[in-house]
Amino acid sequence: MELPDHSSAGELTDGLKIVCYAVNGKGEYALTPDFVWQPVHVVNHQAWQEIEKNIAASKDKIAAGRASCLHYYMTANQMDPGLLAQYTDQPRWKVCLHLLPFIFNRLSAKTLQKYAELYRISPDDLTQGRLQPLIPNHE
Amino acid sequence: MLDFPHTQSAHCESGVAANLLTHHGLNLSEAMAFGLGGGLFFGYLPFIRINGLPLITYRAAAGQILRKIAAIDGVCMVEKKFRNREAAMAELDQTLAASIPVGLQTGVFWLPYFPKALRFHFNAHNLVVYGKEGNDYLISDPVFPAPVRCPAEDLARARFASGALAPKGKMYYLTQAPEGLELKPHIVRGIRSVCKMMLASPFPLIGVKGIRFLAKRLSRWPQRLGREKAALHLGHVVRMQEEIGTGGGGFRFMYSAFLQESAAAMQEPRLQECAAALTTAGDTWREFAAMAARICKKRGRPEDSYPAMVECLNRCGAMEEKVFTELRQWTRQQP
Repeated sequence: MELPDHSSAGELTDGLKIVCYAVNGKGEYALTPDFVWQPVHVVNHQAWQEIEKNIAASKDKIAAGRASCLHYYMTANQMDPGLLAQYTDQPRWKVCLHLLPFIFNRLSAKTLQKYAELYRISPDDLTQGRLQPLIPNHE
Repeated sequence: MLDFPHTQSAHCESGVAANLLTHHGLNLSEAMAFGLGGGLFFGYLPFIRINGLPLITYRAAAGQILRKIAAIDGVCMVEKKFRNREAAMAELDQTLAASIPVGLQTGVFWLPYFPKALRFHFNAHNLVVYGKEGNDYLISDPVFPAPVRCPAEDLARARFASGALAPKGKMYYLTQAPEGLELKPHIVRGIRSVCKMMLASPFPLIGVKGIRFLAKRLSRWPQRLGREKAALHLGHVVRMQEEIGTGGGGFRFMYSAFLQESAAAMQEPRLQECAAALTTAGDTWREFAAMAARICKKRGRPEDSYPAMVECLNRCGAMEEKVFTELRQWTRQQP
């Protein structure tokens, strides 16, 4: 294959250089240091837009009182009730219940602690309903 | 501290396999490890969902490359899984203390050194830990240009990520590797297994039949799902095909590199021809990806459309069928 063009290089990977297989002048394959191919940016961007859309929808739901703030943290971490249940060692139906404000407000400190630990926030954030911005690179 | 030969590679699993073997004195390129492990594949499994999108895979099931390489005569690999986090980390520390580099299967989401844009819940990533300094592990992640560091707590999380393909703390290390390797029989075996998966599967969702099945389904996406959702599905296909860890073209270029290397090792011009043909197939996959990305971006050229993509996929299917039929014939003539 031909080497791809380098427009908007490095934006996806924070400037990280990757290698890919490309044919050199003699028709032989060689590992070539390269940036990420342009169409990959497009589809990656699309995936993140979808995630952001979900986060915005979740915030609306919480503002309207139809979901607990756990819903926001779940969505922001790209999880669904099933995955969250696996991470916290609970049945799925329990997690689904915890997404409702009425039940969430009556959760024990122990359960809240579990969620807080998973998302690296303080239990207070959960009880106060503070929506911390997501920091995947928690430096 | 251990001196580990970090070589950047395009795919994590084959890269880890090649780096570990090289450390034990058996020089093997990444493409060769990929080929010997029978890494190429195609599968479209819509009943398995990832974030609500159908599973599409261009490579063999996670762990297969390592398993096949471990089965080579003279290679001795120890593999362990754990239930308990502390036990898993303690075992890792112990093995490192014996100066053995350890391969781990991890999730990507919890690894702090990964770029933010690539942090998804994907659990079949492989890396090598070769040392520990204070609370940080020294990691040779084959996708990165240089070794990286990762705090112990994050690594423990990544090792025990939940979800599909959960790694369950899986760790593996080589205890023994042969001095030299007679590549020929292993090459033939690797190619044979790939041909079998691509051509002779009774299951219509995998191999060349799977490519055609995807093409058929794809043509109905705009009507069935609506334009927005169809574009999302399309983007997912392209991500699985091209995102980091594939070497481009859904592993087709990497496999071509393997065929080319084998052709040189075995003095076999037919493999060389197959490599060239598979490169063309890879280019066609890329053509499809570029078109799909333009449609996702709503910047389609006049010739871009779902029927055009279907036609492109069918061409891929036909090309790969030809390549693998030729390769199958070749393997049958081998002793």
